[in-house]
Amino acid sequence: MFRTARLVAAKDLRIELRSRVVTNQVLPFAAIVMVMFAFALNTDAVVERVAPGLVWLATLFSLLILVQRSFAIETADGATDAMRAAGIDPAGIFLGKALALAAELAVLEIVLLATAVILYRQDLRASGVVLLVSTFLAATIGLALVGTLYGGLAAGVRGRETLLPLLLLPVVAPVLIGATRATEAALGTAGAVVADGWPWLGLLGVFVALFSVGGTLAFGPLIEE
Amino acid sequence: MDDIGFILATYIATFAGSVLLATYYLRRARRLAAQLPPEDKPWI
Amino acid sequence: MTDNAVTHQQVIAAAASPAPTVAGTGQRRASASGTPFTRALGIATIIAMAVLLLFGLFLSPADVVQGESVRILYIHVGTVWVAYVAFGMTAISSAAFLWKRTTSLTWDRIAGASAEVGVLFMALTLFAGALWGRLAWGKFWVWDARVTTTAFLFISYIGYLAVRGLGGSHQQRGRRSAVVALLAVLEIPLVHFSVKLWRGLHQDSSVADTTHVKLHDLMLFSLFLALVAFTLLYAWLVIHRQRVMAMQDALDDKGLDYALQQRRREGDL
Repeated sequence: MFRTARLVAAKDLRIELRSRVVTNQVLPFAAIVMVMFAFALNTDAVVERVAPGLVWLATLFSLLILVQRSFAIETADGATDAMRAAGIDPAGIFLGKALALAAELAVLEIVLLATAVILYRQDLRASGVVLLVSTFLAATIGLALVGTLYGGLAAGVRGRETLLPLLLLPVVAPVLIGATRATEAALGTAGAVVADGWPWLGLLGVFVALFSVGGTLAFGPLIEE
Repeated sequence: MDDIGFILATYIATFAGSVLLATYYLRRARRLAAQLPPEDKPWI
Repeated sequence: MTDNAVTHQQVIAAAASPAPTVAGTGQRRASASGTPFTRALGIATIIAMAVLLLFGLFLSPADVVQGESVRILYIHVGTVWVAYVAFGMTAISSAAFLWKRTTSLTWDRIAGASAEVGVLFMALTLFAGALWGRLAWGKFWVWDARVTTTAFLFISYIGYLAVRGLGGSHQQRGRRSAVVALLAVLEIPLVHFSVKLWRGLHQDSSVADTTHVKLHDLMLFSLFLALVAFTLLYAWLVIHRQRVMAMQDALDDKGLDYALQQRRREGDL
């Protein structure tokens, strides 16, 4: 299972490295979203107050695109069917695709965080680094897991572009809440203290635990013919 | 009794919604039943 | 196969003539989704609803604190009860369908029928709740954990119904939608918990202090009546929807059989 996962993840990342869709299209999209938020919210004080939330909102929007992309490369040549016909463990495919998606998301989030630091004047502080890194890790893994799960469901059916957001956004709401609050605590937005962030990290942990087990079990029946 | 509008709106929406759904089901059932032999309707 | 095609041709011929009577009952209803049981259920539902209307709007007194607006609550509580029962039923039926997948699609159809009815009642619940909230608190919406979870449940099950409509074989529809329904069971408590945690840090929920209604006996009776009436309505709707779905599925299968037969006969000629 884990060997399959590694192979699938390596394959996905190699495709991304060669096609450069993430760097050339998704990253600019996320950046322009961050600029548009500033236009919509107008005043500096408001933008600075809500910056962590905006980082995660932009991440969610980009997640939708990344998931579509991740499964477009599968369904384009019937690759999923071929892998299933070859008897490859669906749990391995699931974990592999989630791993690749997590890597892409991580790159994206680092850029978004840098954007927030520069455009929205957030300060990184030493005391919050541990919380910040673990929050980003947990949220990234959680988003990658549910993204892969629902992406696999919506892959290869008519109207998937519209179905995926409808299915995915309600599910990732806890991640948005948890990651935003934890990031606020880590960055000290609006005077938040680091200690406030840990319960939210716990919430993210529960989310990851639930969907790593649930996703591994559910992915097979979902993509089954 | 300023609330009368809201109260009536709630009752009307609820009953109208239920009746509409019920008639929709019955009409669909009748249309489908006409196209199927009795062995596909085991509840009869 | 041949038998099927033959009966099917007969049926199509019969369908061309108006008002086909089946099994000599002489009643058109009998040929659709109704049975004596569902008809009795339907009559009971109508009576219960009429009595609820009478008590809810006229016989029960206005509340001391909330005034007349308490009348909205009879509807609100009844519909929210049915909505949650419906989603519970969907989850249970989905689990049952996955458990012994070799049996029948009946569990899948019950799950789908229940979710569809649940979505309607969830919409009515949110509507009634918003109007009542406006009267009781002066606002249509509060970011209370229960209210927000209900809205999420509503959206999630609209997504569930969309998944059911994706096409593919009936088995595929059943498996896919059952997994989605069970994932929703995983998701909803988490949403509830996180919204609760989120509100907890900001302010006390404004719901707690106003929902302590001192219930008059007649009010309690009306509430109870609402639960009974809406449960009956739910049962009636789900039974009929499930039968409509069964007929639709049968038509999908038989229709294809029929077309295949015809092609094969063309090939023989």
